[in-house]
Formats: sequence, structure tokens, C-alpha cells
Amino acid sequence: MQGVGFAWAIAPGLDRLYPDPRARGERLLAHLEPFNSNPYLATIGIGFALRLEQEVARGSAGADYRLSRLIKALRSSLGALGDDLFWVAWRPTLGVIGAAVALATGSPIAALMYWIAYNALAQSVRWRGVRAGFASGAGIARVLQDPFWSRASGITKTAGAAASGAVLGGALWAASSGGLGGISVFFFITAFLWLAGLRRGSRGRWLSPSVAFLVVVILLSVVVRVSAGGLP
Amino acid sequence: MSIEQAALLTVLGAVVFLDQWPAFQSMLSRPLVVGAVVGVVLDKPADGALWGALFEAVYLGLLPIGAARYPDAGLATLAGSAVALSAPASVAPPVGWAVAVALATGALGDHVGGFLRRWNGRTAVYVREQVTAGDLSAPGRAIAIGLLRGAALGAGVSAVALTVGLGGLALVVSTPWSGPLPRSVIVLAAAAALTVNGTRLFVDGRSRLSAWGVGLVLVVAAFGLMG
Repeated sequence: MQGVGFAWAIAPGLDRLYPDPRARGERLLAHLEPFNSNPYLATIGIGFALRLEQEVARGSAGADYRLSRLIKALRSSLGALGDDLFWVAWRPTLGVIGAAVALATGSPIAALMYWIAYNALAQSVRWRGVRAGFASGAGIARVLQDPFWSRASGITKTAGAAASGAVLGGALWAASSGGLGGISVFFFITAFLWLAGLRRGSRGRWLSPSVAFLVVVILLSVVVRVSAGGLP
Repeated sequence: MSIEQAALLTVLGAVVFLDQWPAFQSMLSRPLVVGAVVGVVLDKPADGALWGALFEAVYLGLLPIGAARYPDAGLATLAGSAVALSAPASVAPPVGWAVAVALATGALGDHVGGFLRRWNGRTAVYVREQVTAGDLSAPGRAIAIGLLRGAALGAGVSAVALTVGLGGLALVVSTPWSGPLPRSVIVLAAAAALTVNGTRLFVDGRSRLSAWGVGLVLVVAAFGLMG
């Protein structure tokens, strides 16, 4: 429903720009088009649309057509930038760090810190987006081409890679306390999950990560049962 | 589990389902957070954190990009963690049953989410008609109704998952079919899933492979120094 949500979010601005309900209804209808973008960067689109809406309200020739065309172009650009930064980089990196800390300490504080850290970036981008989009106006391309986006995403993914390596190091150390049996169990699980997730031609993976994990659990349970507590 | 706790978890299911995509997207629906909250509700915060971390590791690689369909990791964690934490303390954690319930709940949540998207799509068409007819408050009303229906569906999925999961737990908990595993093995399995999914996601070039290696060496060295 991002289309309806977009129209609802922009409606207070339209109320101020168009006192006549009929004109306001026409402009609201124009913003009910689907706006399939990233939820955090969509606010930049809202600010930008409000800025161009001012031109439409002033009666600039072709402003409504320009607004419609630019919004269509903007939604996919915002979607690509936001997805790469938030879904591919920021969320999983914090997920690796938060889960590792929770596994190591058994403390729910790790979950709280994860939630605060995620929203510190996501909600500030969301909050500042309206202003940034409104201020940029025709210079919206400069906002999208700002090196901040690619740099932030790259640094975050590198941190995620380092955190994943660190998890392996910590797990190996913990497994080694159980002797050869502990390390063998860890290697078996890791190898199985890795192999199960390999691509099988164009038909996706052998097993989804969650099904592969269930298979691992079942196999381990059988082993534990058979060896009657012989595992760490 | 008391009636109050079950009611709280059902309400949590509504919030988690809404947070996944229809509303806030503040990541209250991430497994790490859901597991911790379930632990607090069931008065086992440390165990809740462990199960949240386990499901975060399992569902780490699901990326909501484009038209991708994916299980509802939040509801899956809610059901799986609640089942695991409801087992008696005298038996080993029934991780097999908990993960199976989580997988089934995640798939159900995905289907219900698809149903809600189609429903919302029909509502969007209706909103256009209403605005064309001069009703300018239609978008606000549609959003409020969409949130209410999302909350109801999330609570419904949670209630069904908890009923089936806890009912099944009573039958399998003392048998080998619950997949009883020592806590240390559960932690190792979660760490392995975290390593595999994290590496798959992030290591896509030489520089990231170097960062991965640096992380590995630094942690091993740090543990070595600490003895």
C-alpha cells in the first residue's frame, strides 16, 4: 500500500497548497499511483514531490507532467539505494554482530542494542528525508549520486564480512573446549549448511537455510541419542 | 504458559506481523528482538536471547528485495521460541520440534502476508474510486483498516501456531522425536549457521575476504591472549 501511504503522507501538504477541495482531490489522485520503493528513503520522494507540487499549484506549464515523470524515475532509484544500504548491508551486519553477542553472553541486552543501532540510522534517514527531498528540488540527482550511499553500504558490508570471520573464530575457540569431538561437530554442521546452500544450476539452492538447519538438528539429535551424551 | 502470557504473545504476534512490512519496519520483527521479548514474557530472558540469536542466524540471508517471497521470520521466531521456552526444565531443549514449528509458522505467515497484500491491493483500487468521487479522507481510512486487518491476521497466525506448537510439545517433549539437544550443541549449531549465512552474504570479493580473515585471526588471537 505504499501508493496509498504516499498519498496519505503528502495530503497535509496538499491541504495547504490547494484550498479548493476539487483541485486537492485531483492532485491527491495523482499521488495514488503505486510507489514501490524503500520504506526509509521513500520520505525523500515525499519531500521532492511536495517541492514540485508547489510549482504545480503556481500553475507552471507542464509541472504536473514533470512531477509524474520524475516521481516514477525516483522511486526505483530510491528503492535500489535503500535496499542496498538497509536490507543488504545494515540489517544483516547488525544481525551477525547482535546474534554473536547474544550467543556469547546470553543477554537480551544484545537485542536491545541491535534495535537501537538499526533505528539510529534508519529512522534518522526517514526523518531527514522529507527535508532533504524538499530542499533538493530539481537537484535531487545530486542527493542520489552522493557518495555517502555507496560508501556507507561498502563499509557496512566489509564490517559484516569481518564480523562473520570473527564469529567463526569465536565458534572454533568455543568448540575446541569440547576437544576433537566439539571441533568435529562444528565442522560437520558448517560443512553441511554450506553444501546445502550451494546453487543447483538455475533452480536455486539444494535446501533453504532454514530447512537445512532443521535437517542438521535432526541429524545431531540422532547422533546424540545414539552416542548417549557422548557429544560436548 | 499462563493465559496472560499466551494473550501477550498473541498481541506480540500482531505487532510483529505489522512490523515485518505493512507498517513500522522498525525491526521489532527481527528474530533477535522477538526471541528476547518472548523470553521476557515467559520470564526466561537469557533463554529467549539464545533462541532469538539462533533464529536470527537461520533467517539472516532472507532479503526483502523486489518481488522476493520469504517466510515470516518474526512469527516463526515467536512460535519457535515460545515452544522451546515452554518445555519443562528437566528435559533437554526440544530444538527439533521448536525449529519445525518455526518453519511451518514462517511458511504460514508468508501465505497470510501474500493474502494481505492482495487484499490491500483491492483496497487501493477502492480508495482511488472514493477519491475520484470526492472523498478525500479515504486514504487515511484505508490505512487504518489495513493496519487493523494486518494486526488481526498476525494475531490469528500466532494463536494457531502457539496452539499447535504447545499442543504438540506436550506429546513429543519426553520422546526422542522432539530433537533434544544439549545447550552447548545448540549454540554451536547457531554459530555455524551465522558463519555460513554471514560469509555467503558478505564475502563477495578479495577485499571482503581479507576483512573476513582479519576478523577470524583477531578473535582467535584475542581468545589465545586471554588464555
